[in-house]
Amino acid sequence: MPMRSVLCFGDSNTHGQIPGRGPLERFDRHTRWPGVLQSELGASWYVIEEGLSGRTTVHDDPIEGAHKNGRTYLRPCAQSHTVLDLVIIMLGTNDLKVRFNKPASEVAMGIGCLIYDLRELAPGPGGSVPEIMIVAPPPILDDVKEWKSIFAGAPEKSRQLALEFEIMADSLGVHFFNAGSVCSCDAADGFHLNAEAHRALGAALAQEIEAIGWPAQERKS
Amino acid sequence: MPDMRFAPPNPLRIADRASGLNAPTVRSYNERLVLSLLLQSSGISRLEIGEKTGLSAQTVSVIVRSLEQEALVSKGEAQRGRVGPPTIPLSLNPEGTFSVGVSFGEDATNVALIDFVGKVRYYAAHPYSSLQESSATIAAKIEEGLSTLPPDSRTRVAGIGLAVPDDANTSGQIRKLLGRDLADVQANIERRLGLSVYIQNEITAAAGGESLFGMARSLSDFLFFYLGSRLHSRLILNYQIHSGRSDLSHDVGLLALLQGLKKHGLTLSDIGSTNFPDAAGELYARWQEVCCRRISVSVRSLLSFVNFKSVVLSSYAPPVVAHDLCESLNKELPDISFLLGANSTAPKAIGAASLPYHSRFMVQ
Repeated sequence: MPMRSVLCFGDSNTHGQIPGRGPLERFDRHTRWPGVLQSELGASWYVIEEGLSGRTTVHDDPIEGAHKNGRTYLRPCAQSHTVLDLVIIMLGTNDLKVRFNKPASEVAMGIGCLIYDLRELAPGPGGSVPEIMIVAPPPILDDVKEWKSIFAGAPEKSRQLALEFEIMADSLGVHFFNAGSVCSCDAADGFHLNAEAHRALGAALAQEIEAIGWPAQERKS
Repeated sequence: MPDMRFAPPNPLRIADRASGLNAPTVRSYNERLVLSLLLQSSGISRLEIGEKTGLSAQTVSVIVRSLEQEALVSKGEAQRGRVGPPTIPLSLNPEGTFSVGVSFGEDATNVALIDFVGKVRYYAAHPYSSLQESSATIAAKIEEGLSTLPPDSRTRVAGIGLAVPDDANTSGQIRKLLGRDLADVQANIERRLGLSVYIQNEITAAAGGESLFGMARSLSDFLFFYLGSRLHSRLILNYQIHSGRSDLSHDVGLLALLQGLKKHGLTLSDIGSTNFPDAAGELYARWQEVCCRRISVSVRSLLSFVNFKSVVLSSYAPPVVAHDLCESLNKELPDISFLLGANSTAPKAIGAASLPYHSRFMVQ
């Protein structure tokens, strides 16, 4: 049976970090939104999870390490998983850490870079550019507990991400979805998704993917 | 020199992020293409839009999102398939925009307010005898129609259309009401109501209305007859309306029938009633035969030049009259399908109301 592949490229909220718990505590595959997406889309789709806690759009993190840079990892990652029909990018929250000192519009520019890189790499069917969907993460809550110095000023900026991302998506002509329209962050730490939010996000993205419209497949294998 | 790939974003869509309709000038060709398609076939998917317009999935996604935000397009009920997530059909939002059309008949001026899918939301006929002779009166009558809209919808009015007869047909009453200069009327109404005003020949407008919302919604080529006081026609090829010598009309219309009936003390609405006298019945049959012959002569002669399969007959005549005529035409020319116009309430006024839509939302 021919299968389509979707790469879910994200941060801790794609990784499935449990809100307010230790760094190693992760929701199971069926609870994380890519898992929800898999069961919603069914067997004709192959859902690839690539969620790294602390991942930024284009920045080496001076504290957490250079490997948190989404831009340097996207190329080997996308190429490893070819052929890709769709790439979903949900990033931006970590770019709002005070150490990067970036406004929301600059985070959107980072997302734009990733789109350019994907177009150059063309990991889609027959060396084409896959469909790309930008997902704006839900806004950070005002109370981020012990993270408040790291995320100083971030809640306010995070509320601007959806509009800035949508403008970027419209400019570059890619799909866009605002996760904040179907779920919000959990109060336990203020910036991670709980199980219910993963469920809602996975189901909504499945509908968005379906709405793109996929012509009957001609590709063999 | 910066890398221009990373210049500030320049969105494809120019959608104002505030609510309400965008300014008339900014709608892109591709947006119009999608809207035109949705008007022809409602309840289609983004995949079908892409296939029919040749636009990429991502472009369709951007445009549809923009149109949804403007509330011109709405999502339908999710259709659950055998496998996978449900698909969501797209349609025009009937409440997305409204338009008012004004036409000028023999005895009265008609005002119709329609929604985005052509449904008549308000209709009134004002006899000339009840109207003051100035364009301020027309503006006031349009305002009466607009005031039936809920306040939120008032900002969603696309404009006003006026369907006017050609000069030669203009009766003294219409000329008194409109004055000699249509540009003045247009400017006056625009100033009073703050809405764009579009003017077109009334028969062309009626044909445009049928083409946009009516029986001819999915027809690219058809011949259009307007049966009013007189009989008029237009040829529509590839969605373009062609008028020949624009003042050409035939005296086989409802006026001729009405004059005959008057001699028996009857009117159009008596046709088909049980006490319709035999003498009048003969007269009606004779009128129908003449009218039918006139139409079939036009159809036959045009068929030797262009290929069309449908004829739309539009009229405000009582349904029984239009229906009888259509039936005898179908007998006369069995290879052509004769369709009754759908906008029978006020074909010209509804056609007039379609003008702002043509101009602001549709591919020309």
